[in-house]
Amino acid sequence: MELLINLLINGLATGMLIFLLAAGLTLIFGLMSVLNFAHGGLFVWGAFAAVWMYATTGSFILAILGAVVTGVILGFVTEKLIITPVYGNHVQQILITLGFMLVLTEMIKVVFGPNQLAAKVPPYLAGSWEVGDVILIKYRMFIILIGFVVFGIIQFILKRTKIGLIVRAGVLNKEMVQALGNNIKQVFLFTFIAGAALAALGGALMAPYSGVVYAEMGLEFGILAFIVVVIGGMGSLPGSLMAAILVGLAGSFMAYYVPALSLAVNMILMALVLIFRPQGLFAAKG
Amino acid sequence: MSKVLSLNKSIYLIIALALLIFPFVSDSRTWTILLTQIFIFAILAMSYDLLLGYTGIVSFGHAMFFGIGAYSTGIVLDTFGPTLLFFVLSIAIGFILAAVVSFFVGILTLRLKSHYFAMLTLALSGLFLVAAEKWRSLTFGNDGFTFRAPEIFQDRLVFYLLSLGCLIAVFIFLKRFVSSPMGHVLISVRENENRTASLGFKTLHYKVIASVVAGVFASLAGSLYAVSLRFVNTSVMTMDITLDALLMTIIGGVGTLVGPILGAGVIELAQHYLSGLARDYPIFERWIILFGILYIVAVIFFPRGIVGGIQSIYARLTGKKVKVAGPMKKSVVKS
Amino acid sequence: MTDLLEMRDVHTYIGEYHILQGVNFTAPKGQVSVLLGRNGAGKTTTLKTIMGLHPSKSGSILFEGNPIEKLPTHKIAQSGLGYVPEDQGIFATLTVEENIRVAMRDQSEATAERVDYVLKLFPDLKKFWKKDGGNLSGGQKQMLSMARAFVQDSRLLLIDEPSKGLAPVVIGKVIEAIHELKKQSTIVLVEQNFRMASLVGDTFTLIDDGRTVHTGEMGYLVENEEMKRKYLGIG
Repeated sequence: MELLINLLINGLATGMLIFLLAAGLTLIFGLMSVLNFAHGGLFVWGAFAAVWMYATTGSFILAILGAVVTGVILGFVTEKLIITPVYGNHVQQILITLGFMLVLTEMIKVVFGPNQLAAKVPPYLAGSWEVGDVILIKYRMFIILIGFVVFGIIQFILKRTKIGLIVRAGVLNKEMVQALGNNIKQVFLFTFIAGAALAALGGALMAPYSGVVYAEMGLEFGILAFIVVVIGGMGSLPGSLMAAILVGLAGSFMAYYVPALSLAVNMILMALVLIFRPQGLFAAKG
Repeated sequence: MSKVLSLNKSIYLIIALALLIFPFVSDSRTWTILLTQIFIFAILAMSYDLLLGYTGIVSFGHAMFFGIGAYSTGIVLDTFGPTLLFFVLSIAIGFILAAVVSFFVGILTLRLKSHYFAMLTLALSGLFLVAAEKWRSLTFGNDGFTFRAPEIFQDRLVFYLLSLGCLIAVFIFLKRFVSSPMGHVLISVRENENRTASLGFKTLHYKVIASVVAGVFASLAGSLYAVSLRFVNTSVMTMDITLDALLMTIIGGVGTLVGPILGAGVIELAQHYLSGLARDYPIFERWIILFGILYIVAVIFFPRGIVGGIQSIYARLTGKKVKVAGPMKKSVVKS
Repeated sequence: MTDLLEMRDVHTYIGEYHILQGVNFTAPKGQVSVLLGRNGAGKTTTLKTIMGLHPSKSGSILFEGNPIEKLPTHKIAQSGLGYVPEDQGIFATLTVEENIRVAMRDQSEATAERVDYVLKLFPDLKKFWKKDGGNLSGGQKQMLSMARAFVQDSRLLLIDEPSKGLAPVVIGKVIEAIHELKKQSTIVLVEQNFRMASLVGDTFTLIDDGRTVHTGEMGYLVENEEMKRKYLGIG
């Protein structure tokens, strides 16, 4: 029982981190059909910015804020410099965002040095609670909480605000949104920046969870996020949440029971989805 | 037109002859090794160009096939002994494995949008990398293993000539392939897949064939690479290899076959000199950033690379109009 | 100034195809102008070019005397044009209310009045206010699309084949609606159904092979059998 709960919490926590990364990816894709291969680069910049801020200021809250601000700035720069010039050409988009991923990853080594950095959990989130026989690690619970809160906030924005309405309408029919007098490019920029900030937040939360940060983790988590977006259905936010939790749980349980398969399980999940339901399990549109 | 072609042909011939003679007139070991390396990566880059430049498919998992070749050769030679026969056998094994893998990846994703193929190949090659790291009894993981190459390759010159021979053979094969009826279908798939399909071509078949041919030649490059180092580790499966192929193809010029060869030369030479500079100026350790930026600039402003640039300058000088086409052409967006 | 919209020698390419090869067209204020022509003549492209969805390559488009041919689509819409596409462009998984809200420019009194006006005009929309747009019938979708285009304070409505795929009874309702909307706004209509065109249209413009070939009072075309046969294949 105790083991089951621990595996469950582990899987949920990992799932939530992947969700933060996948959320931006899926919205950007849904809205503009842009597949951003540099998204993992924003994640790793968030992670390093947070570790650096925490080491400098000693405040975890400032570290998180620093990461989010980094994400916002990088998101703005990426959209203006990298995405806009090749808008409308999928091949160029795929190629250029991957190139930018490379630059972002290498820039990490220039700015923060080539070695991995240790990341610490803040004292008030360290340790664990004991509930009966079950030990709940505080930081993991914290991540799960943040994940649900973020999901709630995004859903609120999508369902209750004008810009959220435009985003949802844009996923369905871009031309019509413009013909009704809405500047879709501006909405896209907003969405892109929000997605970048979420990715950076994911990185910042990931750092103390894994204990170390290194430049290549961007690509590793980027791949996981892609798998999640495919499984959940490109453009679907709830789909991404479900798929992220699924991937997180599958990883956590497989790692314990069938370690040999734990690496392949995500790939197998994705392959099955691609064969039988290429639009994803929870597709936003057909 | 035929005059231009023969001009091109004679230039290729002169360059090939010069490269053939080079090791006999120069005894620079560094240059022999560097050129060998360039030939091997040129094969890899050309195989990539068949996908990107001629069929319009973006793969981010090309390292997987390179790695398959490298490991096939490394493991076969290490297990059965360093003879020429086993070397040839190992290449054949690499071919078969690469063909099978690329076939299934192709069948699975090529019917979907380009995004899926890029993503699936990225993820799948990630999986291959992890498998190579974890299956230590076979691969010795990241530490890798050394093995003995066939006696005859001890002579750098022989291996140089072999690599050059392979490069020329692959170049001629691919050149014929893309100008065959099959190649024309591939190009029309790139230009407008729906229209090609409506003409009655089963585009999926053609895309899968391109993907298999590209996979097989990437595996050949991997086999040669392993022998050149007499060592294999997981680095042959990493994203860096795919990125190398991408950079060489984009910077050299997509959809030209000559471009990737040129690109391989430029990148390998620059890498060589920049890592030399890095000993004095540590900033050059991050030379890959320079390439990354160059690559981004190329994608935006010079989507046809060095060769495309030369072609348009030549066209301007001779007043001929050059046909602008390729995967980087701005397309009409439809959602 | 009586012409609300004026197109002068407009050329539009889609990809490599030269679709509009010189369109000259005016929409007099307060009238219903009908664009007529065979399938593929360029009627829909003309509307999309006006909206900036297929921007023109050359020529000028004036709306209320101001050039709009270089503006992005949303600016064109904001300057007072409403667009009802052939497929109605309903956001299927958004409710009727949300579909209308996408088009609402602001929270002002004037906008609220326009919403009230279209809801009086199309009571069905009020009935299905919280239902998804995708669940409406064909006629209701047409109503919603027209309402949406009108709500955004448009002084010119571009309506593409509103009768397409609708039952005769429903077409009657659409005709009524257009007569009603005409009191508030100028209308440019693309229509294949000549009977409907002749019932609502004040003026007509014939497009053939991407060129405007004839324009005049609707009554003239109704009488002119030869012109109808030549350009519309009817009569």
